[in-house]
Amino acid sequence: MEPIAKKSLIGQRVPKPDAPDKATGRTTYINDMVLPKMLYGKILHAGRPHALIKNIDVSAAKALPGVHAVLTAADVPEMFFGVGRDNRPLKGGKVRCVRDEVAAVAAESEELCDEALRLIKVEYEDLPAVFDPAEGAKEGAPLIHDNKPGNRSLAYQFKHGDVAAAEASSDVVIDSVFNVHYVTHCCMGTSCVIADFDCDGKLTIYSQTQYPYNFKMDLAPALGIHPGDIRVIQPPVGGAFGSKLDVYPFEPVCALLAQAARRPVKLTFSREEEFINAPTRQPVRIHMRTGAKKDGTLTFRKVDCLLNNGAYTSWGPTVPFVMMRTFSSHFRVPNVDIDCRAIYTNNPYAGSFRGYGNVQATYATSIHADMMAEKLGMDLLTFSLKNAQKSGEVTPQGARLNECVFAECLQKAADVTDFTAKHARYAAERNKPGRIKRGIGMASSIHNAGGAKIHKSDGCGTMIKLDDYARATVITGASEIGQGIDAVICQVVAEELGIPMSDITIVNNDSAIAPWDVGVHASRTTFIAGNAAQRAARKAREQMLNAASKRANMPADALDLREGWVVHDSDGTPVLKIDKLLREMHFSREPELVMVSEYYEPPSEPENKEHVGDMSAAYSHAVHVAEVEVDTETGEIRIVKFTSVQDVGRVINEMGLEAQLEGGIVMGIGYALSEELKIVNGQVRNPSFRDYKVLTAPEIPPMELHFIESHSSTGPMGAKGIAELPTIVPAPAIANAVYNAIGIRFFDPPMTPEKVARAIWERDSKLAAAE
Amino acid sequence: MSQVPKESAPLEGYAAPSTVEEALRLIADGDATILAGGTDLMLQTKPGGRLPYRRKLVNIRRISELRGVSEKDGRMSIGALTTITDIDNNDLLNTVTPVLPQTANCFASSQIRNAGTVGGNICNASPAGDMIVPLLVLDAEVELSAWTNGAVTTRLVSLDKFFTGPGRTIKQPNELLTRIVFARPDKKLFAGYIKSGPRPALEISTVSAALSAIRDNGKLSRVRIALGAVGPTVLRAVKAEAYLEGKTVTAQVAAEAARLAAEDASPIDDVRATAWYRRHLIQVYIKRLLENDSQG
Ligand SMILES: Cc1cc2nc3c(=O)[nH]c(=O)nc-3n(C[C@H](O)[C@H](O)[C@H](O)COP(=O)(O)OP(=O)(O)OC[C@H]3O[C@@H](n4cnc5c(N)ncnc54)[C@H](O)[C@@H]3O)c2cc1C
Repeated sequence: MEPIAKKSLIGQRVPKPDAPDKATGRTTYINDMVLPKMLYGKILHAGRPHALIKNIDVSAAKALPGVHAVLTAADVPEMFFGVGRDNRPLKGGKVRCVRDEVAAVAAESEELCDEALRLIKVEYEDLPAVFDPAEGAKEGAPLIHDNKPGNRSLAYQFKHGDVAAAEASSDVVIDSVFNVHYVTHCCMGTSCVIADFDCDGKLTIYSQTQYPYNFKMDLAPALGIHPGDIRVIQPPVGGAFGSKLDVYPFEPVCALLAQAARRPVKLTFSREEEFINAPTRQPVRIHMRTGAKKDGTLTFRKVDCLLNNGAYTSWGPTVPFVMMRTFSSHFRVPNVDIDCRAIYTNNPYAGSFRGYGNVQATYATSIHADMMAEKLGMDLLTFSLKNAQKSGEVTPQGARLNECVFAECLQKAADVTDFTAKHARYAAERNKPGRIKRGIGMASSIHNAGGAKIHKSDGCGTMIKLDDYARATVITGASEIGQGIDAVICQVVAEELGIPMSDITIVNNDSAIAPWDVGVHASRTTFIAGNAAQRAARKAREQMLNAASKRANMPADALDLREGWVVHDSDGTPVLKIDKLLREMHFSREPELVMVSEYYEPPSEPENKEHVGDMSAAYSHAVHVAEVEVDTETGEIRIVKFTSVQDVGRVINEMGLEAQLEGGIVMGIGYALSEELKIVNGQVRNPSFRDYKVLTAPEIPPMELHFIESHSSTGPMGAKGIAELPTIVPAPAIANAVYNAIGIRFFDPPMTPEKVARAIWERDSKLAAAE
Repeated sequence: MSQVPKESAPLEGYAAPSTVEEALRLIADGDATILAGGTDLMLQTKPGGRLPYRRKLVNIRRISELRGVSEKDGRMSIGALTTITDIDNNDLLNTVTPVLPQTANCFASSQIRNAGTVGGNICNASPAGDMIVPLLVLDAEVELSAWTNGAVTTRLVSLDKFFTGPGRTIKQPNELLTRIVFARPDKKLFAGYIKSGPRPALEISTVSAALSAIRDNGKLSRVRIALGAVGPTVLRAVKAEAYLEGKTVTAQVAAEAARLAAEDASPIDDVRATAWYRRHLIQVYIKRLLENDSQG
């Protein structure tokens, strides 16, 4: 036998194991699933923002042949659920937003459900409504929940240092109000759930959830059953992006229908329902004051945030957790004073969404950096480098920036795009004649990259077993929602066990099998589940090497596992095939199977009451540069080139990394330029892809991606979490580029052609009038 | 605005004739819904849509005589079932009136272009119907056919007179739009088309504009301007047309024509754009079309 050299899979380009089935249409998504004897469910939504329910008559719907259950609030116990425990599966008494679920039916087909819904007669008495949080906070505003005086929902404050003194000592102060808008996730698979009770009252729920374990805890109170009696099965889903990080009313409603009908029930949203009823990104009014010294040193940030809570509290109004981190740590900010309030209104409500508040906060901090640099007469790179933290610094909220390569990212981004020279050139050409103006803009941000300890644990459980043929099964709590964790886990485990990736099966779709994990959020899964998988794999490796050591009569640390063989670590000489070793271990007088488990908890700490704590096990930065062309007549913006430089810790799967970055950037560009859920008087005005514009292939610009490897001491193989920064940074990079091109700031994305054309026209009309 | 779908009457019959005569006999009682590519119809008649089906559904897609482009005695003829893709790829049109393929090229997506027909685009009578805009500046007429007193009868109607409002035309329920005809354009005629949007494909026009004129020694004559999505129907900018007649294009002339065209339009504010922006774009586009700069 030839010796087997040591090779690493880490940093290679590895296709996602689920990709071929998805690309060829073989995958059965939850939306495709049909269970025997399954019924269909549908919800009657209020369609009005604020009204008393005077009467509901369901008799005709109940009498329709083929209808198996019709439910209203009167039929189910009054159970509250949700982040703010202010939501109910079915609403009685009054409705507070267009989404409100007033009745639900289960029938033999979706068409019958529609017919049954038409037969339900609801009498409403409309109430005065409030849609603007500033109005909602005023005395005498319509009260949305009786037990929420002043319509006050969640509130957050963080203070550090002395902002007043810092302002007094500042040479330059800028003050702006940003209004960031509603967007929605636009998952390819619309919301869908299948609920099935057995005769003992135990619920199996087929769900798109991205947090299966706490999902049980959150769903149980809406149904009045024990969380232990819920089994969550996760079939493949068509996207989540944070929209499946909470329980939403359609899920308990479907379970209640299944309970009432004693049959499995499937409930799926139409695309129109999805636009109206699925969570949005949290809109925020951000009032920010920033100060600096003449030499460019930032002195303070004072931030006031007003959040439109909507009618109920999902994760949306908790985004200040992350926004405050950005306000206090995007650049070195010695003094900060942040005040955030969410006010109930009769609008639809927001959930979590990739970037989680940081998309909103970075729009403000990165535009202010550009404005400050201009005001100081410095170039943005110099200004940014001056205020970029270095490794070892601790932020006002207690984040320890280990392995911090912010400055390297900034420098690299500027170098590869020729940023400073181009920026000066385009600014000089701004006022010359010409219809098309070019601009270049830079933005940056920081994000947690080693999980986020916002729950009691931020851990992930993993079990590995090997069979007699050296095939491994990895049973992990980490959910695959399309982000690519299966590939990463295969790589990490294959690397430790010396077996091919194709010999590894991942099981992570059944809460009755896989151990606990907090969920797919906070850019955490590669970091946390990767660490858990690596540790579990090392236990299996140790067991195998110990067994091999006895058989080979060599110390275990002189052996290695490579390409299906136990080999000499020193020169790669093959000793024994791994499958043979496993069989010998199994079928011996002291039989042993390789089956190991690990629960990994990252070395992070929850925030204290003052919002201080090193809540992530790693942090990372990204710098984006957008080069744009603005048509000054039509207002159309074309992105000529998009460059991203990101601290990724270490590249594990280069292909997965590129896909996450490209997808995230496209989402970020949509946020900047075209996507907006238009909500007027509580109604969603554009509930279709015709009028809600996501980017399509022709508008996606050429991208250049650079990975900076900072080698996290805590990450798996040195990796950091990467998935949110790509969505966080594009919008302000584009806004800064547009400013460079035409000299106009946009504080209220998206920068639609109309908005841009209008701003140019208004400016030019004013100039003309002045002449 | 309730989210519950409205009722639509159940269908009683379906037919897929393969000749015009057969089709006309089937719809003679005026109680049939006509299905061509279905790219408008399917959306409108779904639960929640604005149109209920009539009693019969008559699929005209198999009438091969209504598909294709031909020329005879200086008259161009486009069959109602010619798809948008057919127009995009048609050699004859590409030589004779490139503005039509050019319009087809920024129409929807390949999938929709493959299914959607020019007749459907016209009969749907959307104020944003893209093919209508350049056909208007070519002085096109539509041929309407019916089965009356035991024979096929036809009438020719100027496209200009065809539309009476959004989704409304003078076509009778027993009539089929069979062909679009127009005179082969003069060699000196130039025509251009612009549609708004950062992604013209798959964009329901916020504004679209077409202009054609004969340019002789710099002077314009036979000027036609059509505007989409800025009124209840696709409309002609008659004041701007009259103003341009006999003029040589200068920056001032273009600006004045643009201003008049914006006056000719009656745009509204809706979820896609404000009236202000629509008027603004009309002016930008008219200037560009006069400068023969339709690449945008
Ligand atoms: C995703 C998408 C994108 C789109 N993009 C565009 C776009 O960019 N520009 C644009 O203009 N449109 C667009 N449309 C609308 C539509 O595709 C076009 O209007 C298309 O040309 C309609 O043709 P059709 O053959 O599909 O018509 P159908 O849907 O079959 O019919 C439309 C209407 O006309 C009637 N009808 C059809 N043919 C005849 C006939 N010969 N005689 C009498 N009545 C008839 C039908 O009864 C119906 O009322 C889009 C549609 C979709 C779904």
